[in-house]
Amino acid sequence: MVIILAGIALAGLILSKKPGHSEKNTKRDNLPAASDYQNSSDVDLPNSSGVIKEAKAMPVYGHWRNFTTKDGLPSDKAYTVRIDGDRVLVGTHDGLAVYENEKWHTYTTKDGLAHNGVVSVDVSELTGDVWIGTLGGLTRWSSGKFTTFNQFNSGLPNDLVYCVYCDGKDIWVATGGGAGHYDTQTGLWDIFTEQNAPMHEPWTYGVSAGGSKVYIAAWGGGVIEYDNKTKRFRDYTDPDGFMEIDLQPDDGVVHDITTATSYNDSILWVSTYFGMSRYDGKNWKGYFNTDSGLASNFINFLRAEGRVVFVCSDNGLSSTDGTTWVTYKKDDNSENGKAIITTGNEKKEIPLSPSISHNFIIGVDAKDDILWVATSKGVSRGELLK
Amino acid sequence: MRKYLKILLPVGVICILGAIFYSPYHTWARKHVNLMTATEDHPLNCASCHLYLQKSGVISKLVNAHYYSPFNLAVSNDGRYLYVVAEEGNTLLVVDTKKQKVTHKVEVGNRPHSIILSKDGNTAYVSNQWSDNVSVVDLTSFTVTDTLKTGGGPAGVALSADGKYLYVANSFSSDLSVIDISTGAERKRLNAGNSPAGVQINADGSLVFVTSRRTLSKPFGDTIRCELTIINDNKQRVVERRDVKSAYIMENISFTPSGDLAIMPLVRPKNNVPTIQIERGWMMTNGIGIVEQKPSGRTIQLLLDEPNAYYADPFDIAITPDGKRAFVSNAGVDCITVIDIDAIRKLIAESTNETLKTYANHLGISSRFVLKRIRTGANPKGLALSPDGKKLYVAEHLEDRIAVISTESLETTGTIDLGGSGRITVARHGRRLLNNAGHTFQNQYSCYTCHPDAHEDGLVYNMASKDMGRNITNTQSLRNIGDTPPYKWNGKNQTVYKQDGMRFSTVLTRTEAFSYRDLDALAAYIMTGIPNPPNLQYNPNGELTESQKHGKAIFERTHNFKGYEIPIVNRCVTCHPAPYYTNKKMADVGTLAASDDSILFDTPHLNNIFASPPYLHDGRAASLEEIWTLYGKTEQHGSVNDLTKIQLNELIEYLKALRDPEYEQKSTEILHASFGHK
Amino acid sequence: MKIKRTIILPNIVLISLSCILMASCNSKSVKNGMLLVTEAPQNIQTPDYISGESWRYLAGARISAFMPGKPSSLKVLTENFFSASSPKISYDGRFMLFTAQQKQDESWQIWEMNLYNRKCRKITSFNDNCTDPVYLPGGRLAFTKLTINDTVKSAHCLYTCNLDGSGLRQITFSPNACFATTVLKDGRLLTVSRQLLPDKEDPMLMVMRPDGTKADMFYKGAGGSVLTSSAHETSDGKIVFIEADKGTPAAGRLVSVSYNRPLHTRIDLTSGIAGNFCSVLPLGPDNYLVSCCMSGSERYALYEFDPVKKSVGQEVLTDPEYNILGAVLVEENERPKKLPSEVDLQVKTGLLLCQDINFLNPMLPDNSSDIRKAIKIEVLGVDTTYGVVEVEKDGSFQLKAMADTPFRIRTLDEKNNIVNGPCSWLWLRPNERRGCIGCHEDPEMVPENKVSLAIRKPPVIIPVHVTEVKEKIVELE
Repeated sequence: MVIILAGIALAGLILSKKPGHSEKNTKRDNLPAASDYQNSSDVDLPNSSGVIKEAKAMPVYGHWRNFTTKDGLPSDKAYTVRIDGDRVLVGTHDGLAVYENEKWHTYTTKDGLAHNGVVSVDVSELTGDVWIGTLGGLTRWSSGKFTTFNQFNSGLPNDLVYCVYCDGKDIWVATGGGAGHYDTQTGLWDIFTEQNAPMHEPWTYGVSAGGSKVYIAAWGGGVIEYDNKTKRFRDYTDPDGFMEIDLQPDDGVVHDITTATSYNDSILWVSTYFGMSRYDGKNWKGYFNTDSGLASNFINFLRAEGRVVFVCSDNGLSSTDGTTWVTYKKDDNSENGKAIITTGNEKKEIPLSPSISHNFIIGVDAKDDILWVATSKGVSRGELLK
Repeated sequence: MRKYLKILLPVGVICILGAIFYSPYHTWARKHVNLMTATEDHPLNCASCHLYLQKSGVISKLVNAHYYSPFNLAVSNDGRYLYVVAEEGNTLLVVDTKKQKVTHKVEVGNRPHSIILSKDGNTAYVSNQWSDNVSVVDLTSFTVTDTLKTGGGPAGVALSADGKYLYVANSFSSDLSVIDISTGAERKRLNAGNSPAGVQINADGSLVFVTSRRTLSKPFGDTIRCELTIINDNKQRVVERRDVKSAYIMENISFTPSGDLAIMPLVRPKNNVPTIQIERGWMMTNGIGIVEQKPSGRTIQLLLDEPNAYYADPFDIAITPDGKRAFVSNAGVDCITVIDIDAIRKLIAESTNETLKTYANHLGISSRFVLKRIRTGANPKGLALSPDGKKLYVAEHLEDRIAVISTESLETTGTIDLGGSGRITVARHGRRLLNNAGHTFQNQYSCYTCHPDAHEDGLVYNMASKDMGRNITNTQSLRNIGDTPPYKWNGKNQTVYKQDGMRFSTVLTRTEAFSYRDLDALAAYIMTGIPNPPNLQYNPNGELTESQKHGKAIFERTHNFKGYEIPIVNRCVTCHPAPYYTNKKMADVGTLAASDDSILFDTPHLNNIFASPPYLHDGRAASLEEIWTLYGKTEQHGSVNDLTKIQLNELIEYLKALRDPEYEQKSTEILHASFGHK
Repeated sequence: MKIKRTIILPNIVLISLSCILMASCNSKSVKNGMLLVTEAPQNIQTPDYISGESWRYLAGARISAFMPGKPSSLKVLTENFFSASSPKISYDGRFMLFTAQQKQDESWQIWEMNLYNRKCRKITSFNDNCTDPVYLPGGRLAFTKLTINDTVKSAHCLYTCNLDGSGLRQITFSPNACFATTVLKDGRLLTVSRQLLPDKEDPMLMVMRPDGTKADMFYKGAGGSVLTSSAHETSDGKIVFIEADKGTPAAGRLVSVSYNRPLHTRIDLTSGIAGNFCSVLPLGPDNYLVSCCMSGSERYALYEFDPVKKSVGQEVLTDPEYNILGAVLVEENERPKKLPSEVDLQVKTGLLLCQDINFLNPMLPDNSSDIRKAIKIEVLGVDTTYGVVEVEKDGSFQLKAMADTPFRIRTLDEKNNIVNGPCSWLWLRPNERRGCIGCHEDPEMVPENKVSLAIRKPPVIIPVHVTEVKEKIVELE
């Protein structure tokens, strides 16, 4: 039943925001030159504003280039994106798409993928192996060879693998049947559910690790922290319970229905369908679209890179260092959009032409000066505006 | 006369008594031997069982002996010394090639496997397959200076081009340890093929090639594939996983000095073909794989066999410094095959891919590049060339000897005795038989071929019973099976004597059956001399983890988690009781396939079961999990349907923790002792 | 008492030694190290494989023995027979099998002689001629017997029986003439075999297990070659025999092939040597004995031959009135392997698997001759057809054919045009299972490691009009 519910929820997650308008494929030839964009920003950004100062501290991405099936993507429904060196791995509804040397190549079950619905991808820094979470199991893609782990042939908790995270030799998965830990050296699996961990039910959405701890985003269970050293759990739940409003600000994670966690620069970021939380090890802070630059409280995923977290919502992509926000939104009726820079009460918009390909964002990854975004209408690639 | 009467009378009485009791004694002895051997024709030889089958005690010590069993070897930079890995002696033997004798013995770990020398030649790294570590040996003081932890079953070893890292192929855990020599710590572990064995760095030091012995798990009928794993030495990441199709047991690999080719011995089995004949290579073929070292380089396979002669169990390969000749040890037929590499270069240069594909199955092609077959002592394994390339040293594994072969005259110029036991015991003779293809028609394969290291090859064979395509059979391990009769999945052989008797020759070896002397020897080895490796991966010290303890409780449970009593026949422990985890009876666990004859199956023993995928009689279960997730839905194979996934994982973790009966018995004794103390 | 014992014991020893000495001095005995030769009083005719009359049945032939180096010691062993030839020595060196006719008008039968006392024992008693005996390991022998029936018409088939003549088994079942059989060290029989029907083919060396299973071509010469002697296996892995060209049958050449690869290792050891060779006996790697006629006017004599130098050596034996046609050495020999048998006479059929009838070997030059894809086979009997069988998509088929019945296979396309074949005669022994790669296979190819579609379903019964064969099920595994 849990699996079914999870599947329904995921389907809802994926399908809830359909693009309102048909969008044209954006070709590179149509992209504005960097100098063009620089000119426009020169015009739009008032030099004396504090927004400018903060914005310079926060990376802003432009020169967006969008990819859809017309460009070779197997499906416009992109669930996840991960940058792996010179290539980009995109999980789509119809397989794993790999962008390399300006070309897309798709891998499906025919190649050995566990399932064509690829919802999570991570790359082991240690081995270079790519771990792929799908709706039908977990696949390891290593130097061209696919190996599938599923609930029938291995200790994988469940075949609905919503999230996979590589932490050294350990592979963590968040599945519809609990969180799983696979030790690549011993080959042993651990499963964590409500039976042996402080969860309400086995349905988990996200997992990440950092600082020798693992953070599991558990449906209705807030964040479950697993200490690799002590092998013990503790949970972080919303003191307000399931209430959709945060009665007591910054008293903990903003809601128990968590969708993702990401730990970086000693900060744990947690996304929920009702806002976002930041935890520095002592204090929690909540963020909502009403009191910050957050695009929407309905957050599908987030990923922290250094001090900046990128937040994927149902109404645009936000990024913040906790103070300044940069949110990317596409206009409803055109390929254009904007970046909204918010610091405190100050807000400034930068027009972007083109913009990200869709406002329903599910995946994001940033490396160096490049930002990739997975949306329900293709993937987008942005470059850092310097 | 009285004096003689005193002698004659007792003699006469004895003779009369002998005459009276001879017949009943003979009848009893015949029945006893028939019972013990499950045959009706085995000679009445008390020693067969009462001497040679003793596993321990004084008699066992008397009839058995200690051997070194040289396995691999290396030559010092100046060619003066040989460093010989003695697999059974657990030592590194230092041999002075001038004095032709062993000068030092360095005790290393359990079952050492391979050796690599540092560039300066002052340090040796010896992998200890049954200790999960590498001994670092100082070759100036002949002492072990450090022990480096590895993965499971370290086998082949190689050094990175800069000499800073040690690569170790972990044959049990199927990965590759990358060890930082400066710290001794394992830097990372890379997933390799199934049971990796040989590791070699290529000529320009940019890539590390790792061969593997077992095939990647696939259902019966698919093309079998064995992985050649290629690693970038700088990045220490796998850059290619090349499938070598239709081949397995790729033990080692070697590069030509110019770097144009890599050559590896391999076996091309015919497990998907019904076992209807042995003639014309219908059961097993033996050859080499050639990997072209250039962009889009091909992997070519050529047979070393000939139409009426097979060269079973190719193991190691050495290539002369001039890149002209390669030597392959054919362990199953006691010979070295000499290969003209230029002839191979010419052959592959002038051949289309289609023709090369045909060559892979052609018994005549070896005549194009095989120069000679050089006879050796029993079971030649590791090879090493002197620095000038003029001498080839051969580790005669079951001869306790090193052969010295001139690479110019291609003649054996001498042998170096390593000093093991001079006598060949019955069990040792049996081990030689098991590793030798001489008892198979035209030497096509030995017992070892399907049972490498007396284990199993992970393949599923079409044993073609009443019709072809029927009776698909998963090879079973020979490790410690002496006390787990009956044998074969259909349980029709109650003893090793019967198993390896006449039917064995009719069905498998297709040549003259073993003589009784040989059969006794083979039985003595199989029943006393094949332990399981220690289960260091899942149960290093007998202390079960919490998960394994939970799994043990599930294994031994009498009631399910709903509180209902499980019928005795449906309890795991009923059919799989310790110490062998088999009740030695036949059972129907709901796995009979349409292609099977309607039979019950022998309950397999479960010691070290983690090392024997695939599972079930026809190998349909690629993992232990699949036994129950895919093939145990009828509850006939134990009551498991009430288990959560966590509990199933715990059960499987416990099963993976099962060890050799030797350990089980020891732990039982300890348990009793502690009770006694109380 | 002491005195008596000292006298009795030496006496016993002396008497025993005397007995042994006397026994060894039996003038009749044929000692180890002696050579036995077949002598024929007339010139050899052109070999006739169909009847065998002029080649095997040498009227007035005899077997004689002599000690090498002492030609004068030659003594006739078969003086009580009208004709005798083809001696073969048992593996313990104590007995001799030979074929003989006691009287001129009697048929040839197999006999065994005790070489110690030269007592002879008749092993076979048939109306038809029996020739070319050879010892099998395990107390049996194989021989050729003229066989006339509906199955093989009139052919010289191979049989085996016990040394007392009991337990007779026919092991070849094709309309071929099989002669001059030897036993290889691997336990198989090597025989000269020539197809007689429907067309006469060149003779070849055929190899098979002693139960008649796995019969296969071992060696075949170039077109028009004639094999005129039994083959011998040398200690260094060669098979040597005499081969002549059909056009010049009186110019037999001594040929060797490697046991390991007989089809592609032919060496004419007598290249450049004038003379007509008719038999060979390898004594060592560099020492053979050959029977040859050095010029047309001479009789056949026994010579030394050096296979390394490829030169005829000294004359070993000549007889002014007889041709010396062959020799065997009386000695203890290593017994060949005693092969197990899968034959079960209670089973009526055998199984044949073919992997792909369209298998084309790119190494064979004539592969481009016909690229039509065959989709079925026709199974042909001696004078009937057993039916047409559609093969599987991968070109495989599996037949369950009536045992001990000769058949040939040809491949057909969808319009029943012949694509290839028919192949040479095949037969399956009861319960035999055998396989082939394809209908146009290179004998040196091994099968691809794949599951043929044909084995995923029951075999097709041959003849195809038979829908069911009720028989004992034999479990091989």
